[in-house]
Amino acid sequence: MRRCFLPLLAAAAVCAPSLTGQSQVTGIRNLNFGPVVASVPSSVTPSDPIRSGRFYVRHVLNRQVRLSFNLPNRLNRVGGGGNMPISFGATDAIAKGTAPTSLPVTFNPNNPITITMSTSADMYVNLGGRVAPRANQQVGSYQGTVTLTCTFF
Amino acid sequence: MRNTIRVSTVLVGLLSLAATAVQAQSANIQALANVYQAIAVTGARDLDFQVVFPGVNKTIAVGDATSGRFDLTGQASANVNVSFTLPTNLVNGGNNLAIANWTGCSNPTNTTASCSAFTPSAGNTARAFSGAGALFVWVGAQVQPTAGQTAGSYLGTVTLTAAYF
Repeated sequence: MRRCFLPLLAAAAVCAPSLTGQSQVTGIRNLNFGPVVASVPSSVTPSDPIRSGRFYVRHVLNRQVRLSFNLPNRLNRVGGGGNMPISFGATDAIAKGTAPTSLPVTFNPNNPITITMSTSADMYVNLGGRVAPRANQQVGSYQGTVTLTCTFF
Repeated sequence: MRNTIRVSTVLVGLLSLAATAVQAQSANIQALANVYQAIAVTGARDLDFQVVFPGVNKTIAVGDATSGRFDLTGQASANVNVSFTLPTNLVNGGNNLAIANWTGCSNPTNTTASCSAFTPSAGNTARAFSGAGALFVWVGAQVQPTAGQTAGSYLGTVTLTAAYF
């Protein structure tokens, strides 16, 4: 009887989706507002090819992935001395597969979204946003961390 | 039989794990911004053709005493795009005086000697503020009075727009 089950066990090991390694998320471009001045809000659209933030996500064709952002609500001045408000709107994130037939999915980065990898096994997730420098905003460099967590199903 | 049940249990457990395998990963990027000193643009000197005569074109070069000049201040050493809105005519009531052939030059210091020439009508011109946050821009042009140009004072507005990039 044991003989009968050993091939089955081997088959189970082969068929079990090994998500480790083949599923990944990588940050590949910072969301960069560039120069801004006090009192003048500045936006970056998720379709901006230079300034938008960008992640690369790879999973398994026809499987689902849940995208969840951890977004800052302020950028901190490098070296201290203050912060600057940052916000993200309902259309500030776009996910798009790499296949020619892939269509962009626009979503609100403030809320998680689950996407089925129906046309390609990988995609790019772009992020835009808006900073609102205060009237007395101190000159300097500001930064904050954006985290994308992918749950691969 | 006992062995069979044990192996089956293990197998079911493995298959169950395989069916529900879920993995989470995170990655970071940075959100970045540089707050710069606001740009201030001052029209420091009018472009003045002074007296012109019907049928005689007159050109003011950027280095002439009556060329137009803008003074800019901003973030030290920062890159800035400079662009212009230029009139095609100077106006006196219902009369027009054609103006064309615009020339431009810029310098981080207030002298046209060795300034960097550009074409004001060509859209954005990339420049940089000096280490002290200064930039000076001169403009010249040519007015083209017709033979029947009506006498009088003619006026037009030249607008310089500057933006960091």
